Amino acid sequence: MILIAAVAMFDSRASALPDLSGRFPGGLGPGFYPFWSAAMIAGAAVVVIYRWYGAAATGEGVFAKREAWTAPLKIALPMIVMVGLIQWIGFYFVTGLYMGFFARFIGRYRWIWVVVIAVVFPALIYLSFEKGFRVFLPKSKLYEQGFPL
Amino acid sequence: MEVFTGFTSTLGSLAGGFGTALQPFNLLLLSIGCFLGLIIGVLPGLGGTSGVAILLPITVFIANAGPGGATSAVIFLAGIYWGALFGGVITSILFNIPGEPWSVVLLFDGFPLAKRLGKPALALSSSFFASFIGAFIATVLFTFFARALADVALAFGPAELFAVFIMSFATLIGLGSESPAKSVMMIGLGLLLAAVGFDTLTGAPRLTFGRVEILSGIGFVPVTIGLFGMGEILASAEEQGIGFVERLSAKVGLKDILETLRELRKRIWTVVITAVIGFWFGVLPGHGATAGSFLGYGLARQYSKNKANFGKGEITGIMAPQAAADASAVGSLVPMVALGVPGSPTSAVIMAGLFIWGLQPGPLLFIDHPDFVWGLTASIYLGHLITFTMCLLAVPLLAKIMHVPYAIITPFIVIISIIGSYSLNNSMFDVFITITFGFVGYWLRKMKYPLAPLVVAIVLGDSTERELRKALIASGGSPLIFVASPLAATLMILAVILLLLPVVRNVRERRAARASVDHAA
Repeated sequence: MILIAAVAMFDSRASALPDLSGRFPGGLGPGFYPFWSAAMIAGAAVVVIYRWYGAAATGEGVFAKREAWTAPLKIALPMIVMVGLIQWIGFYFVTGLYMGFFARFIGRYRWIWVVVIAVVFPALIYLSFEKGFRVFLPKSKLYEQGFPL
Repeated sequence: MEVFTGFTSTLGSLAGGFGTALQPFNLLLLSIGCFLGLIIGVLPGLGGTSGVAILLPITVFIANAGPGGATSAVIFLAGIYWGALFGGVITSILFNIPGEPWSVVLLFDGFPLAKRLGKPALALSSSFFASFIGAFIATVLFTFFARALADVALAFGPAELFAVFIMSFATLIGLGSESPAKSVMMIGLGLLLAAVGFDTLTGAPRLTFGRVEILSGIGFVPVTIGLFGMGEILASAEEQGIGFVERLSAKVGLKDILETLRELRKRIWTVVITAVIGFWFGVLPGHGATAGSFLGYGLARQYSKNKANFGKGEITGIMAPQAAADASAVGSLVPMVALGVPGSPTSAVIMAGLFIWGLQPGPLLFIDHPDFVWGLTASIYLGHLITFTMCLLAVPLLAKIMHVPYAIITPFIVIISIIGSYSLNNSMFDVFITITFGFVGYWLRKMKYPLAPLVVAIVLGDSTERELRKALIASGGSPLIFVASPLAATLMILAVILLLLPVVRNVRERRAARASVDHAA
């Protein structure tokens, strides 16, 4: 947080203070608001650190047990891979793969149900968003070559 | 006598309006509009504003070829708005993803009540009842005071509005159950995120670091979808493990409705007051249901006896913002109809419709097109009644969504979140923002940082800066403008008192601790 505040304060330092010379309308430049917002973060962060330093250690870390970080990681990694793949194979294929992955490896569904889920959900999304509301979602690299999705 | 004559004349005009709105064609359009709005509200990324904009071209045919002309067209568009107002809460409460910007605030208590306390039907019906009451009160006010209020609203200047925003932030710091320093930090972060992008006054890029994608700023919808939707998925994976199945009460019916009515009875004054304030806030040009909902939440929390329960599934935290949001939405039509100044982005789109249909919004609308104005007014009553009935009938079905297996619902929420953030600007950058803030939200939750101040600051940050700078421009740079009017000065003093509360509380606690040590010695 302190780093974010420091970077923001540095970036907006040029017009951080009120300037009544007429350079800016109302005396406030573009940097005033972000600078003092960042200063607010920095000031509060100092208080939080001081309190944390002053408080007795509880003895338990943020990720005390192994499951505390492995469980979120099992959700986060497929999510990151999925978002990374969208621009290559398009939203609808990614949705099918992602839904199928969860159904098979988390839900332990039979393969036939995995296939049904992987096909039905993207199809429903396609029909409701793309056809119904004309919301166009990212397509695969093959779309420009005439492939429909 | 003059007041009585005015009152009866208004009632007569309203009766005429009901005559127009109850015509079968208009009633059908209103029902279709409400239903479409409900669907649009449920789907994240498809806001009421975009829903109204998408369907605006259709209204040209309705206005030209339909039997009701422009009145039928506005009834249809307004129906979409009312439907979206109700529908937005459903995804917030059941999936922890805001269906609409104005339902972001329901993530604080709606989702905890539905999931953690296992009462999805109560959470949904509470919001529907509050929406209906809020909208009803606002529509009554709209009916009788629209023209007079529009004039008063114009006198509410930037200094007063800035003071209102400062008081909202002060409430979160002074009355929050979390550490005030952490709340300040979160508000600072929210304001900083809201400042990213082009400066609206000078055009200078701020905190963009040369990245073109963020020149238009960081939208609060992708951020909140990440913080709450994605963050919750990661947090619950850690807390409850992967593959857990919800075991919620499946019994939904009259019992839940009666429970909601009992809870509503206890909070009726909170709902009424927040609805009146929300309506007034909506009347102020430039503020819509989103800001109104946060204001309603802040006020309810400030005056609640159960402050500690806020954020953990407190019903007041659902009813108050929902009543305020719907009342604000109705209020935002006041300046549009009476002055030709849109009160919110959605009313701006509806106003564009008025121009397309050949009408000139403003004071003359009441004189030149009374059928239009009173038909619209009557349709607000009817539209909310139709949407409320639709929602209430759908509660059992909606609550069953909570029983869908983890392996289906979790990836589905992720997919819907991605659609929600992508479809705002057709930008993958917004998707990256959502994913990033998913991790940020998870981390902040873990480190016990409050998310509500962060979201409130992101939502209100832009408006706060705009009003601050507008006020200073008006005063030639003199900060005395913030205490120049009695209203602004009172609000500012209240804000300072609220900010000092944690300090006073701290001093009192220390004294009490010292006294108990002395007593023990």
